[in-house]
Amino acid sequence: MTYEERVEAFRKRIQEGHKVEATDWMPDEYRARLIKFIEMHANSELMGALPERDWILRAPSLHRKLAVTAKIQDEVGHAQLLYRLVEDLGKPREKIFEDLVQGRTKFHNVFHYPTYSWGDVGIIAWLVDGAAVISQGALQRSSYAPYGRTMRRICWEEAFHLKHGEDIVLTAVMGTEKQKRLMQEALERWWEPLMMFHGPPTPPEKDKDLAWGIKTKPNEQLRQEFLSTYVRKIQEIGLKIPDPKLKYDSDKGRWTYTEPDWDKLYAVVTGNGPASKERLSFRRLSLEETAWVRRAILGERAQAA
Amino acid sequence: MHVWEVFRQEQEGEPMVHVGSVVAPDRARALEYARDIYSRRYEAYRLWLVPREAVVEVTDPDFLQPPIDRTYRMGVAYRVTVEKRRQIKEMFEKVAREVQGGG
Ligand SMILES: [Fe+2]
Ligand SMILES: [Fe+2]
Repeated sequence: MTYEERVEAFRKRIQEGHKVEATDWMPDEYRARLIKFIEMHANSELMGALPERDWILRAPSLHRKLAVTAKIQDEVGHAQLLYRLVEDLGKPREKIFEDLVQGRTKFHNVFHYPTYSWGDVGIIAWLVDGAAVISQGALQRSSYAPYGRTMRRICWEEAFHLKHGEDIVLTAVMGTEKQKRLMQEALERWWEPLMMFHGPPTPPEKDKDLAWGIKTKPNEQLRQEFLSTYVRKIQEIGLKIPDPKLKYDSDKGRWTYTEPDWDKLYAVVTGNGPASKERLSFRRLSLEETAWVRRAILGERAQAA
Repeated sequence: MHVWEVFRQEQEGEPMVHVGSVVAPDRARALEYARDIYSRRYEAYRLWLVPREAVVEVTDPDFLQPPIDRTYRMGVAYRVTVEKRRQIKEMFEKVAREVQGGG
């Protein structure tokens, strides 16, 4: 069999719903796409721990402090699980971190924004994690089986993040006017990034990751599912979604909304978001400060100062 | 650094299930990482760590699924017992009718 024939046979197997394991043969393009896709996901879990990290010391009660800390530990754990997959696919971890801090690889748009209040913590855990679980739920059926299995574990842990986030938001809207306002303002800050989260409505036939079965649902379908799951829940608690065009079109059977500015999304994920530089320099600093730990673990001798 | 494959038993008596892997320089660190990553919420009754090199993998279909009919080894191949029972019942009923008719 020539290389092209092998690739064709592989493609056919995937279309028939077969799964690929780490030790199986795979086309170079499939491997490269997997690395890029999973690496961005892993980076997002790691970078996603940073906005919430700022709120550990400012959590309003001991219970909230414990829960936020546990969520952050989970997110870093998710990054660990996913980086293992990328390493097994052939990219060493040091290179992954190097590329991340140099801005050569990406992480999700929502982690390029700053947080201003406890309201952001609730909205992030409920809706940002909620949007992520919609994608991750679909990824459980990825053609790359180790990724699908990891998604099952991650989604199970995410259930706690969503519920805790929702609890933060509900507690606040049951409280004082000021507390309600905190949530409304946070929702207004996060709505645009949330609508961009699943990416531009790329036609499914042009989406290579979809063709390889790395992901299983088109971007727009994920966004529609997100809206179907959360719009009513948000409105029921008296919060107002800041999009006058948002409505369910029952003739078309889909949500219509103000088209997000996709150039802005591109600018944000390529390192030009409001908190991109700060987050990356913090990550770079941590990487430098903890270099001695990695050296110690590797059993290298301390260098004379 | 070594890769350790992690197997987890969620409850006493249940099978050990592969859950993923960790990279660690030694056994003690590998155990800590595996606990931190795969059992933060009372999920494990027991963990097994196996150095990746120790895993022997085979996926060759000619070896695992030779093209010989082996259904005779399987319970489902004996579904005919249902039909046979029906036939036996009929046979007995027939005999009973004959005995009664003759008596
Ligand atoms: Fe996560
Ligand atoms: Fe999460």
